[in-house]
Amino acid sequence: MKEFLLDTPVTKEFFTYLGNFGQIEALANVGEGFYKFEKPEWFSIKGFVGDTTLEVRFKKEVMDLTVDFVYLLFSSYREGAVDLSALRGREQAIGERIRKHLYGT
Amino acid sequence: MVQSMPIVYMNNAATSWPKPPEVLAAVAESLSLPVFGSGRTTGTQGEDYVTQARERLSAFLEADPSDNIVFTHNATDSLNILIQGFLAGKQNACHVLTTALDHNSVLRPLHEYKHQGRIRLSIIPFEGGVVRPDAVEAAIEPDTRLMVMTHGSNVLGSVQDIRRIGKILQDHGIHFIVDGAQTAGHIPIALRDLPVDAFVFTGHKGLLGIPGTGGFYVRDPEAISPVRFGGTGTDSFSLLHPRGMPERFEIGTHNYPGLAALAAGVKFVAQRGVEAIAEKAGRQTSYLIRELKKEPNITVFNDRPDLPIVAFNIRNVQNDDVGFMLARAYGIIARTGLHCAPLLHRAIDGGEGCVRLSLSWCTTDEECQITANAIREIARNADYSVHST
Repeated sequence: MKEFLLDTPVTKEFFTYLGNFGQIEALANVGEGFYKFEKPEWFSIKGFVGDTTLEVRFKKEVMDLTVDFVYLLFSSYREGAVDLSALRGREQAIGERIRKHLYGT
Repeated sequence: MVQSMPIVYMNNAATSWPKPPEVLAAVAESLSLPVFGSGRTTGTQGEDYVTQARERLSAFLEADPSDNIVFTHNATDSLNILIQGFLAGKQNACHVLTTALDHNSVLRPLHEYKHQGRIRLSIIPFEGGVVRPDAVEAAIEPDTRLMVMTHGSNVLGSVQDIRRIGKILQDHGIHFIVDGAQTAGHIPIALRDLPVDAFVFTGHKGLLGIPGTGGFYVRDPEAISPVRFGGTGTDSFSLLHPRGMPERFEIGTHNYPGLAALAAGVKFVAQRGVEAIAEKAGRQTSYLIRELKKEPNITVFNDRPDLPIVAFNIRNVQNDDVGFMLARAYGIIARTGLHCAPLLHRAIDGGEGCVRLSLSWCTTDEECQITANAIREIARNADYSVHST
């Protein structure tokens, strides 16, 4: 589990953006909104809208392969120039490496 | 978000917080002078915190003689010493009993010995949070030599009838080790009158000391072989470890600041009175349970606990997420998951785990109110909307 400290508070839009890469669950009326992003076999991210920290839980077996993608997701959003197709390409490449690592295929 | 909020601490069954000012002062004082330890220094200044803590615990737990109180690192350490020391004297594999309520501090050492073929192990189930004495009697086999069980469940807060269970075991000549990690400091305990062979305590929970202290009382030290050897500050010419008490089980330099804190914590608890502590905790715990049960989607697993512990889940919300929301949005610190009690959780929630609130003497009514309101608010809004790619 890693705690990520951000330089600006998390927004609802950030979680919506994460939803492009996995499942988002939300309890919008708790606090300013509790959001949980789940990317099975990779990692999960949870946090509150308006907070400056996010909790990321990595699947230990593949953390070496996925940690850079978390940074990429954060930095792409922060820089404001999200290139979804480039991110999806990267996601696909990492996904193949994960499958090979976990299942040998 | 949480940085500006005051901490509402509801995780006292893990370790108590805050510590009374007297405890913190004792730690500071213990470090302000060179330590005094018989046989280990020529200095005469400072307090003998080890003896002070031993004598206070002996009086508090009504455990005689005080030298049969042994200090260790914590309750798990104590259980390992006692279990290993008891089995060390046994030539053949024997049968051992424990319960599904127990913590991994009991279950893991016993399962290790089972795995090594040194014991056969039976695990007695519980009903309504308690292990029935007749179920213990029914589990006894001709070669049952040892039973290790919790005095109070760290998840359900239920205190076990160790008097009746101990009597049954005594009648069968079975050694009885009781894990009192959750009960010492929370309920009155008079070991003088209880049929237990060893009683384990920890310093940093109900006794309000600091982490890194614990120990046990052993009625007949000869029944437990020492399993650690080294310097004791006594009988130094002998190359064999001394067998007298408490050196038989205590090796190396003591945790002086920890024992100073423990002595102060025990004094604090004794001055307030365990009965008064239990009464306040019982009132606050009942309030929390009553409030939580007002929400139809909250399942409380322990309706009438004996200890200040509330175990619950909110339907369709993972316990881990509830803990996260309580901490981040309300500043409330609880504990979630399995609480090192996997068999208990398998029985009550299918092994999913739950949220645990646990109180101490320092918990205020206002903190209970804040906690109940926060949990009820989460429960009322616990309807996940789901989006996915």
